[in-house]
Amino acid sequence: MSTIVETAPRGPTRRRMRVDGWRWAGRIFLVFMLLYTALPMIWMLLTSIKSGFAAMQFPPQWWPEEPTLASYQKLLDPQNSVGQDFLRFFWNSLYVSTATTILSVIVAVPAAYAFSRFRFPGRNFLFFTVLLRNMFPAVIFLVPLFILMRAIGLVNTHGSLILTYLTFGLPLAIWLLKGFYDNIPVQLEQAARIDGATRFQAFILIVMPLSTPGIIATAIYSFIGAWNEYIYAYTFLSKNEQLTLPVGIQRFFSENTTDFPGLMAASFMMSVPVVVLFLVLQRYFVRALTEGAVKH
Amino acid sequence: MQPVVQNNKGTSQVTTVTGKAEARRRLQPGRSGGLRKIWEHRADYAYVLPAIAVMLIVIAYPIYYTIELSFFKTPPGLQLRDKSFIGFDNYTAILTSEVFWKVTLNTLIWTIASTFFSFVLGFAAALALHREFVGRGVLRAILIIPWVISAVAASYIWKWIYHSDFGIIGAVLVGLGLADRPPNFIDNVSTVLPSLIVVNIWREFPFAMIMMMAGLQTVPDQLLRAAEVDGANAWQRFWHVTFPHLSNVSTVTILLLAVANFNSFIIPWIMTGGGPSNASHIWITHIYELAFGRQRWGVASAYSVLLFLMLMMLGYFYVRALAGNERKEGGA
Repeated sequence: MSTIVETAPRGPTRRRMRVDGWRWAGRIFLVFMLLYTALPMIWMLLTSIKSGFAAMQFPPQWWPEEPTLASYQKLLDPQNSVGQDFLRFFWNSLYVSTATTILSVIVAVPAAYAFSRFRFPGRNFLFFTVLLRNMFPAVIFLVPLFILMRAIGLVNTHGSLILTYLTFGLPLAIWLLKGFYDNIPVQLEQAARIDGATRFQAFILIVMPLSTPGIIATAIYSFIGAWNEYIYAYTFLSKNEQLTLPVGIQRFFSENTTDFPGLMAASFMMSVPVVVLFLVLQRYFVRALTEGAVKH
Repeated sequence: MQPVVQNNKGTSQVTTVTGKAEARRRLQPGRSGGLRKIWEHRADYAYVLPAIAVMLIVIAYPIYYTIELSFFKTPPGLQLRDKSFIGFDNYTAILTSEVFWKVTLNTLIWTIASTFFSFVLGFAAALALHREFVGRGVLRAILIIPWVISAVAASYIWKWIYHSDFGIIGAVLVGLGLADRPPNFIDNVSTVLPSLIVVNIWREFPFAMIMMMAGLQTVPDQLLRAAEVDGANAWQRFWHVTFPHLSNVSTVTILLLAVANFNSFIIPWIMTGGGPSNASHIWITHIYELAFGRQRWGVASAYSVLLFLMLMMLGYFYVRALAGNERKEGGA
């Protein structure tokens, strides 16, 4: 026995064995991560197509015996009150997130460009200030912002949310985009300006197209952040017809605590837009991180 | 117009400079007055002005207001005209309360455990996904999804999974004969925090994975191949080539994770509201409850200021790590 163990792994075979060991470890690890990631989501989907009665069983039905789309129909039916609320929350979330996204890009692009290209006094200070914003939790700003929003009459409006979301999306957006601009050769702009373009034209015609992946990544980031935000929406909005999805769902299901199929269906539908958006555009996001944040 | 400049360190390098003003400043160094410099660069500020203006409204004012409020005794409701100055009483009240230390310990456990495991799992996943294989793109996409979905949705999904009567984990444990009846994960003082950390890691590890995947792409293949030719095994290649290359990305990732975890709110708030008996309260949820639950605005503000000070310390490292790239450019 011992002779076999000693003689077999030697020379080139031995090296390949080692590498294969790591590869197998990697595969097993990935299977584990896949289960950890996917099982909760699969269970959400399976629960969402059960009836309320079927969900509350022990031991659980591992596979729904009588799958039903009743929860989805209830949430998407504009005729009944649940559906009305849900669709309204959905629309509100969409409106707030889209507005935030557009504004973030408009504000972040010039700022990132300036931080990347210009060397004005106070530049580092301002850049760090922008970065530092990311450090502070929403709760610190909550009370004073609430008072501020009340003073300027924005409480219970979507404007309060858009303004706030804008600021917490900005730091990372600016940071990402700045890294992106750092990697666009300045010579390209200089060539354009020698050919008679103004700085603005050079920016719009040369830099913007090259930084599209960065801008898309920034937009995704802002959209997802705004879509999923909870704490400000929870504090600033009190009228039912203005709530965004996370708060709306929370409020609804704190009244109907046992409707787990409905809750899972709502969680699923709340996740669909951002997941689809992200999956479609994820390569831009990874690329932006690679070129913007990581590679220097 | 691409000046090769001798900078202070004496190393010559090509600076990335476009502005005329910049060139002028570079060519005549020395002490030109600060105001004049600002005036020369006046156009540059227009680009950052919108960002700075928004930041000022939504950050500077709240910070000032929080600090002010922390020295006052405030009546319930936001009738803040009736507040009265009490000096440092709010601070002493906090530092002498038992809840404070309990919550601080929870926050430390929460932040360190979440950050550590998210980073390790994310890094390992990035390494395992680095090699080309069939289905890699799909697998990567699936692993990222938890990071994208709303924390509110994640909290409800896991609340249902942990459910004490109908939860799937409990059912599996009973089915395998590991427990007599479904364990109560989140209504139990000793298991609630680890259970919530598992949820948090579920949501956070994909971020580490994306960052490290991006970092891995920057490791030069030639170096790895050279090391392989020299007889380095997989572990040695990782430890001596890959890992040193990733130190910068790793620092940034860990700091971003630590900050995000320190600032978590939604998962504990939705899943347990800080209970049972404060076992899952972390700083942020505790502050929120003090302010909006018990309406003790002054105490909550003092808490915020303390939090602020702690974050400033963390922020020192954060800025240094994020700005590390900046410094290396040698400009500025």
